[in-house]
Amino acid sequence: MNKAVVKTENLTKTYGNSRVKTHALKSVDMEIPNGSFSCITGPSGHGKSTLLHLIGGLDRPTGGSVFIDGTDISALSDNKLAELRAEKIGFVFQFYNLLQNLTALENVETAMMFKKGPQKARKEAKELLELVGLSDKADAKPFELSGGQQQRVSIARAFANDPDILLMDEPTGNLDSESEEEVLKRIFDIHKMGKTIVIVTHNNELAEKAEMLFEIRDGKLCERERKLLNTEK
Amino acid sequence: MNIPKLVCKNLLRRKGRFIFTLLGITIGMASFVALLSLGGNMRGEVTKQAGALGANLIITPKNWCAYDQISILTGESLPESLQYDVLDKVSAIDGITAVPYLTQKTAVQNNPVLVTGILPGEMKDFKGWELKEGDYFVSPDERAAVIGSSIANQFDLGLNDVLTIRGGRFPVKAILQATGSNDDASVYLPVSVVQEIYDVEGYISYIAAKVDDITRLDSYIAAVVDVANVAVTSDRQLLSSVLAILGAVNTTLQLIAGVALIAAAFGIVNTMMTATYERRREIGILRAIGAKSSAIFNIFLLESGLYGLLGGVTGVAAGFVVSVFAAPLIAQSDFTALLKGAAPTASLDASIVLRAILFSIVISIASGLYPAWKAAKLTPVEAISHYE
Repeated sequence: MNKAVVKTENLTKTYGNSRVKTHALKSVDMEIPNGSFSCITGPSGHGKSTLLHLIGGLDRPTGGSVFIDGTDISALSDNKLAELRAEKIGFVFQFYNLLQNLTALENVETAMMFKKGPQKARKEAKELLELVGLSDKADAKPFELSGGQQQRVSIARAFANDPDILLMDEPTGNLDSESEEEVLKRIFDIHKMGKTIVIVTHNNELAEKAEMLFEIRDGKLCERERKLLNTEK
Repeated sequence: MNIPKLVCKNLLRRKGRFIFTLLGITIGMASFVALLSLGGNMRGEVTKQAGALGANLIITPKNWCAYDQISILTGESLPESLQYDVLDKVSAIDGITAVPYLTQKTAVQNNPVLVTGILPGEMKDFKGWELKEGDYFVSPDERAAVIGSSIANQFDLGLNDVLTIRGGRFPVKAILQATGSNDDASVYLPVSVVQEIYDVEGYISYIAAKVDDITRLDSYIAAVVDVANVAVTSDRQLLSSVLAILGAVNTTLQLIAGVALIAAAFGIVNTMMTATYERRREIGILRAIGAKSSAIFNIFLLESGLYGLLGGVTGVAAGFVVSVFAAPLIAQSDFTALLKGAAPTASLDASIVLRAILFSIVISIASGLYPAWKAAKLTPVEAISHYE
């Protein structure tokens, strides 16, 4: 098995105050191998998205640790965490989360401007839109695009800084079946390029295709590695 | 894509709000600049007039107040309350050259104009006047007029045009060379003629005097007070007391302008706070794709700074336009009448413009600090979980 690129230890997240506490995640231990295609499933409100946010460094755990490439990111400063997100992690959200006043191309470019060191140019942003089949929509604003197209722009954006890990929160949850197929095709294309992909989904068909499947119920990881990795097939 | 470009796009997203916020800072800055420029003009003009007076001593009746003293510098008409024989007494003092002023009002083409009664020969020497055209008075009681250059320009008067003053007809004999002072804005008649037509025989308004030895000013003052029951002020005292009054007026004007600016600053705070709230989600997205909190802080601060820059530029421009148009209106009041001759462009120098714009930027950035801090403080997940 490839070395784990994402690893959690005793990961716990609790919301609320001293009187009322909600345990969103309870002692989750998981390992996601480098280059794998993983899905996290489970009922709504049981902690899937919280887990994804913690893995991506968008939120901080109440207890336990998240390791990305062996680094404990729960110990990183806010700035280091932002650098990690800019360089190693790409996010795709259910509601696309594009910046509404920017064009498709500018949305992709925006992600490039937060990376340290020499920045990629407009040319690379165009290539990314080509990768998701939207080179003809570069100058379109999000409201001029269909849901599927917007999601493909957001995939191009997530991929802007060539991250190792792509985290997706129900990327097809808001799409019709035709758009869903198109978006999934792009996701599989990116996976073939050797990227680690983690998808939170309700879609059983997609979950079936995952190399690793995690199920979260009541904040606990209750079933894991239902499928074997490609390397073990 | 870079942060400034992103900021510009953000600013223009809500055009209405952008324009109204900008209008707030523009109005604030405009009032600030207009009042500052008017105040500056008054100062400059007063100083210039004091120089043009060409006198070391001003001799006035004892009961005159500061307002009357200002009027000497502003070229307003003053009461004829000094007896003519004071002039003889003062002139008799060794080392003093004195000239009388008798100021009255008349109308030319229905506009108020100052008439000054003078001793023709003495005044010409005292002031060093030069003629633009025509011939100067030949006798001290000639029934003719010499006019200042701005009077000639304003009413399109030429030689031999006839002015009617208190029923008398006075042909224009000569037009003075422009001096840049209030001397340009008066009609001059021999003092005896003015006394006669205004029915104030034996009286003048005040006396201006030069001394031979400026280092002995105090002893000259003592000598004047000795021979006549009058008040004597040196030109410097006069200037400083008038400037002190103007200073108080300026401070008041600036305070008023300051209030306008503070109101505008809160307009920016309000706009930016609303933007912070409305754009929580966008902040979350930017944070998710790798923006540090400092980048979010900079984005919001740059936005308020841009309001300051744009509002500063439009405000300064509007302020000067207002001061150009307001000056004639304000000049209708006696107190500020000296603005008549003051071109507002006199105060439009690059350093004032730059400082005003810089000030506007500083105020706007200060107004943006709190909203920017609030925006930067949002955690990515709390921002991204915000659904409209």
